[in-house]
Amino acid sequence: MSIKVDPNLMKDLKHFGLKDASKCFHCGNCTAVCPLSETGTPFPRKLVKYAQMGLKDKILQSTEPWLCYYCGTCSDNCPRGADPGETMMVMRRYLTSLYDWTGFSRKFYTSEKFEIMAVIVTGLFVGLLMLLIHGEFDWQHASLEKAWPAHGMEIADLIMASILSFFLLTNVYRFMKFTMGDLLTKIPLRIYASQAKELVLHFLTQKRWAKCEDRTQWVIHLLIMTGYTTAFILVAVLLAGGLAVLGLTWEPLRFQRPFDPATGRDVIYPIFHPIRLLGYYATVAILIGATYALIGRFKRSKAPYKNSHGTDWMFLVLLELTVITGICVHILRLMDIPFATYAMYILHLMIAVPMLVLEVPFSKWSHLAYRPMAAYLKGVKEKYFAEIQGAQAQAPAAESAQAEA
Amino acid sequence: MDKKLATYICTGCGIGEALDIEQLSKVAQKECKAALVKTHACLCGQDGVAMLKADIQNEGVNCLMIAACSPRVMYDVFRFDGCLVDRVNLREQVAWSQKPGDEDTQMMAEDYLRMSAAKIGKMDPPEPYKPEEEISKDILIVGGGVAGLTAAKEVSRAGYKAVLVEREKELGGFQRKVAKIATFPYKGLKDNDVEALVQEVSKDGNVTVYTGAKIEKTVGGPGVFKVTIAQNGAVKEHKVGAIVMAAGWKPYDPSQLDPKLGYGQSPNVITNVQFEEMAKNGGVKRPSDGAVPNNVAFLQCAGQRDPEKLPYCSSVCCTTSLKQAIFIKETNPEANVYIFFKEMRTPGQAEDLYRKAQEEGVIFIRCQDPQVKASGASVTVEALDDLLGDTVLLEDLDLVVLATGMVPVTAFGEDYAQVRARLRAGETEQKKEEEELEVPQDAILVSDILNLEYRQGPELPGLRYGFPDSHFICFPYETRRTGIYAAGCVRRPMGVAAAFEDGAGAAMKAIQCVEMVSQGKAVHPRAGDMSFPEFFMQRCTQCKRCTEECPFGAINEDEKGNPLPQPTRCRRCGVCMGACPERIISFKNYSVGMIGDIIKSIEVPEEDEEKPRIVVLACENDAYPALDMAGLRRMTYNAWVRVIPMRCLGSMNLIFIADALSKGIDGVLLLGCKYGDDYQCHFVKGSELANIRLSKVKETLDRLVLESDRVRFETVAISDYDKLPKILDDFAETLEGVGPNPYKGF
Repeated sequence: MSIKVDPNLMKDLKHFGLKDASKCFHCGNCTAVCPLSETGTPFPRKLVKYAQMGLKDKILQSTEPWLCYYCGTCSDNCPRGADPGETMMVMRRYLTSLYDWTGFSRKFYTSEKFEIMAVIVTGLFVGLLMLLIHGEFDWQHASLEKAWPAHGMEIADLIMASILSFFLLTNVYRFMKFTMGDLLTKIPLRIYASQAKELVLHFLTQKRWAKCEDRTQWVIHLLIMTGYTTAFILVAVLLAGGLAVLGLTWEPLRFQRPFDPATGRDVIYPIFHPIRLLGYYATVAILIGATYALIGRFKRSKAPYKNSHGTDWMFLVLLELTVITGICVHILRLMDIPFATYAMYILHLMIAVPMLVLEVPFSKWSHLAYRPMAAYLKGVKEKYFAEIQGAQAQAPAAESAQAEA
Repeated sequence: MDKKLATYICTGCGIGEALDIEQLSKVAQKECKAALVKTHACLCGQDGVAMLKADIQNEGVNCLMIAACSPRVMYDVFRFDGCLVDRVNLREQVAWSQKPGDEDTQMMAEDYLRMSAAKIGKMDPPEPYKPEEEISKDILIVGGGVAGLTAAKEVSRAGYKAVLVEREKELGGFQRKVAKIATFPYKGLKDNDVEALVQEVSKDGNVTVYTGAKIEKTVGGPGVFKVTIAQNGAVKEHKVGAIVMAAGWKPYDPSQLDPKLGYGQSPNVITNVQFEEMAKNGGVKRPSDGAVPNNVAFLQCAGQRDPEKLPYCSSVCCTTSLKQAIFIKETNPEANVYIFFKEMRTPGQAEDLYRKAQEEGVIFIRCQDPQVKASGASVTVEALDDLLGDTVLLEDLDLVVLATGMVPVTAFGEDYAQVRARLRAGETEQKKEEEELEVPQDAILVSDILNLEYRQGPELPGLRYGFPDSHFICFPYETRRTGIYAAGCVRRPMGVAAAFEDGAGAAMKAIQCVEMVSQGKAVHPRAGDMSFPEFFMQRCTQCKRCTEECPFGAINEDEKGNPLPQPTRCRRCGVCMGACPERIISFKNYSVGMIGDIIKSIEVPEEDEEKPRIVVLACENDAYPALDMAGLRRMTYNAWVRVIPMRCLGSMNLIFIADALSKGIDGVLLLGCKYGDDYQCHFVKGSELANIRLSKVKETLDRLVLESDRVRFETVAISDYDKLPKILDDFAETLEGVGPNPYKGF
C-alpha cells in the first residue's frame, strides 16, 4: 500500500499550535534521549515525520502522543530547534479533536473566539439556572444549604456528570477503535481484564512520568491531579453524603453539612475534621500546581512551557479562578455575609461548571482518560503479542518433540 | 670546492648521558677525518651557534657535521650560507630510542658519524638552475568562468599580468546561464552578479582576454611556457610562467541516465541545468503546456553516487535543488515542492539554505531509489521512504527535476594510452618490446584543453574520475604537472562560493611558482630546494625509464629516445635517479654514488660477534619523521638498524640493495608511503614505483645467491610511529631465522 502525501496537513496543524516541526531533519536525537520512548513505540521523531508528510491516518492510529509526558528533554536536545515535544503536544490536541465525533472539540481548538464564547455562554447559562432554581435565600445568615440544598445540587451534579461521561466515553471508544483497529475485538477479554489494574494505576500515579529527567513536572501534575480528584470526590460524590437520590447517604462524610436551626447557620466541620482537611488539601494542591504552571507559561521557564495554545491558558485560568472563588466562598461563608456568599457561589459555579463540561470531554482535560488508556492498551497489546509469540515458539518445539518421539 | 670538515657533537637533550662522547669524538677525528671536532652542551643555543659561526669565519670550516637532533628540527638555526651542513640524528634516533650506555647504542652513533662523513664527501653545493630563455612571470588562465575570472582578478591585483583564454564567445562560464545564486551567507537566494566580475576583468589593463579561443599548444615548463592561442583563425604566442587551469565542467549527459528516472519519457522530466535555463529565460513553466507548475518534485543523485554512472557526489546538486525549490516557492507559494534525497549534503554554511527550504514548506523524502513513471504529460514518482518504511506515491506532478552531476571537462576525450598503442602498432616488434614497461600509467585523456607537448601525454593526468588532482587534502590546487594549478569545477565539483575561493587560491599558487622558478628553486613540496637532476648523457642507453617513470612528466624525449630534462618542471624527488639502470642521473647533493658510499661506510661486525646490520631506506616525508616520533615517545627499537633518509622511496636504486648485501649487511628494509587510491606519497607514486622495482630484486639476490627474505618493503604513514618498533623487530627476527649474510668480511 502506498502513501499519499498531504502537504496541507501542516497548515491545519498550525491552528493546533504547530510551529517548528518543519525544521526537523530527522537525526533522531529526540527519540534517542527520550526516557519514555521504547522500541515498539518510538517517539517523538516518528510523529514529526507524520506531520511533515501529512499522514493523517497514521497519526490517528498512534497512541504515542499519549505516552509522552512532555518533560521537554527532546526539545532541549534538538539541534534544529524543531521542538519535537511541542509537536507531540500538538498531536494530542489534534487527536482530541479527531476523537471527538461532535466536531465541537475541533472548533474549540481552532478558534479562540469560539472557545471564549463557549465558556461565557455556558457560564451565563449556569448562572441563570442558579438564579432561577434555588431554595430560600436567608439574608440574616449565609446558608448555602438553604439556598441550594445539597440534595438538589446532587441531582444537578448527576445530570452534568452523565452528559459529560457520555461524550467522554464515546470519544474514548473512538480512540480505542482508531488505535487498536482489528485488535480491539481480536484480543481476548481475559487480557483486557488482567491488565485493568494498570489502567487504575496509571490514572492515579502517572508512574511513567517518573522516568523523565525533570521530575518537577510530575510532582506539580500530581498536586493538581490529586487536588482535583479530592475536590471532585468531595463536591460530586460526597456533597450530600453519597447517593442521596437513592437514599444512600452517610451523614458523617457529607461535604455540604445541613442547616442547623439552632444557630441559624449551616453546620461546619471542626477545623481538624478529615473532610475539612481534605478540602484544604485540595485547595492548596490545585492552587500551588496551577499557579506554578501559570507562572511557568508566562515566563516560558522551560521547554513544556515555551509555547502555550489558547486552550492551555483557558484551562489553567479556569482552574485557578475556580479555586480562588472557592476560597472566597469559604471565607465569606465563615464571615457570614449572605449576599456576597451567594453571589460568589454563583460565580464559583459559573466558572467550575464550564470548566468541567467543556474541558473534560472536548479539550485538554480529556487526557485524564486518553493517557491511562494509552498506557493500558500498550500493556494489553504487549501481553497479547507476547502470548502469540510464546505459542509460536512452543508449537515448533512440540512438533520437533513429536518428530523425535 | 675544497672541503674542510668539522664535527660538532651536542651533548644536550640526553645525548651526553646515553653515549660515550669521547669515543665518538675519536671516531670523528680518526675515521671521518674531521679537521675539527668539538662538543657542546647546547649546540642550538646562542653560544653554540656563535661557536659554529666563529669556526666558519676563523677556521675556514665549510662542511659541518652536526651530530645533535633530527634534521626535522632546528633547521633554521643550523643553516649557514655557503657551507654544506649534514645533520646526524643522535637525539631522536639514537639517544631517545636506544638503551643508554649500551655497546650497540654506541656503535649505532659511531656508524651514523661515518655515514655522515661519507655523505658530505659526495656532496657539492647546489647551484640554482637558470634556463637559457628569459623567465616570464605572466600567468595563463584557462577558462573564463567564475574561478578563472577570479584568478585573473587576483593575479592582476598582486601586480602580475594575466592571459585569459575562454573557449566560449563570452566570459562568465556556466554562471551566465543562472538566474539566482546560492552563496554566502546562504540565508536565501541572491541575484547573479557574475556580470560585474566580467566587466571588472574585461577592463583590467593587466589582463589580456581571448574569447572564442583555444590553446593549440603548450610547450616548455614553469617560467618558460610558450602557449599558442588560436582565435578566429589567427594564432598568437604568449610566454607565461605558470598556468591556472579553470576550464570548468559539463553537465552529466542525461540520456545516459537509468530509464526508471524517466528522462526523455515526458517533456515534464527535466534536469537541474534545464531548470536553470528555464528560470533564466522567462521563468519556470510546465514544458508540456507552459502552465505554472503546482506540483514539483526534485530527485537527488540522478545518476550520481552510482558506480555505473557518476561514482562520486557532485556536492552542489543538493544546494542547487534547495535553491530551485525555494525559487518555486517564492514565485508560487501555493506550489507543493518535494525533494527526494539519499542524504542531504549541504557542505559548510549551505545548511542554512536547507533550513530555509524547510521553512518554506518543502517536503523532504528520504529514499534510495525513486522511480519516475512518465507517459506524456503525466508524471508520477514512486519511492520507498526510508524513514516511514512505506512506499510514497506522488501523482499528477507538473515537473520532475533530476539533479544531475558535474563532470570535469578533463574527463572527456580518448584515453592517451590508446593513442600511444595505436602509434606503437606501426613500430617494429623489437621497439615494442623495449617499451614494454610495468610502470603504472597515468590516466590522461585527450581532452584538447592544454595540448601540452609533454612526453607522457597532452593533458593533465587524472587522479580519479578524470579530475586532474594531485592530492586533494594535502596539496590543494596542485596538479601532477608542475606550474599548472587547477581551480574551480575542473578540480572538484563545487558551488559558486567555493569557485571564487579556488580562483584566488590557484592564482596565489601560480605566483608562488613563477617567483620560485625565477630564483632557480623548486616549488612544492621541496619548496626552496636548489638542486636539480643532472644527466650524464654519454652513458645513456635510451631505455626511457626516466621519461616513463617521472611522476610529473618533467622529462621530454627526442626522436632517438634521449631524455630531455626540463628542470623547471621538476619536483626534485629523485624518482628518475632511482629508475636509471645506468645510474647517470644525480643531484649535486643527492646521488647514487653518495648513497652507495653511505652504505659502504657502515661498519659490519664479524659473523661471530652476532651483531647483524639492517639498512633502512626511509622516505623522509613520512617514515623518517615517524621514526623520529617513535624516539620522541621514547619507544625503544632494534639496535641493528641504520637509517638512511631518501627524498622519496622512488629514488631508491636497486644498486643500493646490491651494495648493502654484498657488503655483508644482513637485510634491507624499505619504508615508504601508502600507495594506491588513497596514496600518501608526496610524489604521488614514488613508493609504488619502488615496490615495482623491488619485484626485480630477485635477480640481484639470485646473482648473489641470497634469500629474498633479506629485503622487505613496508608502507607507513607518519601516524604509524607506534607500529615501527614492531616492524623493525619483526624484520630482525626474520633475519635471525635466515642467518647471517655469508658476504660478511669479504
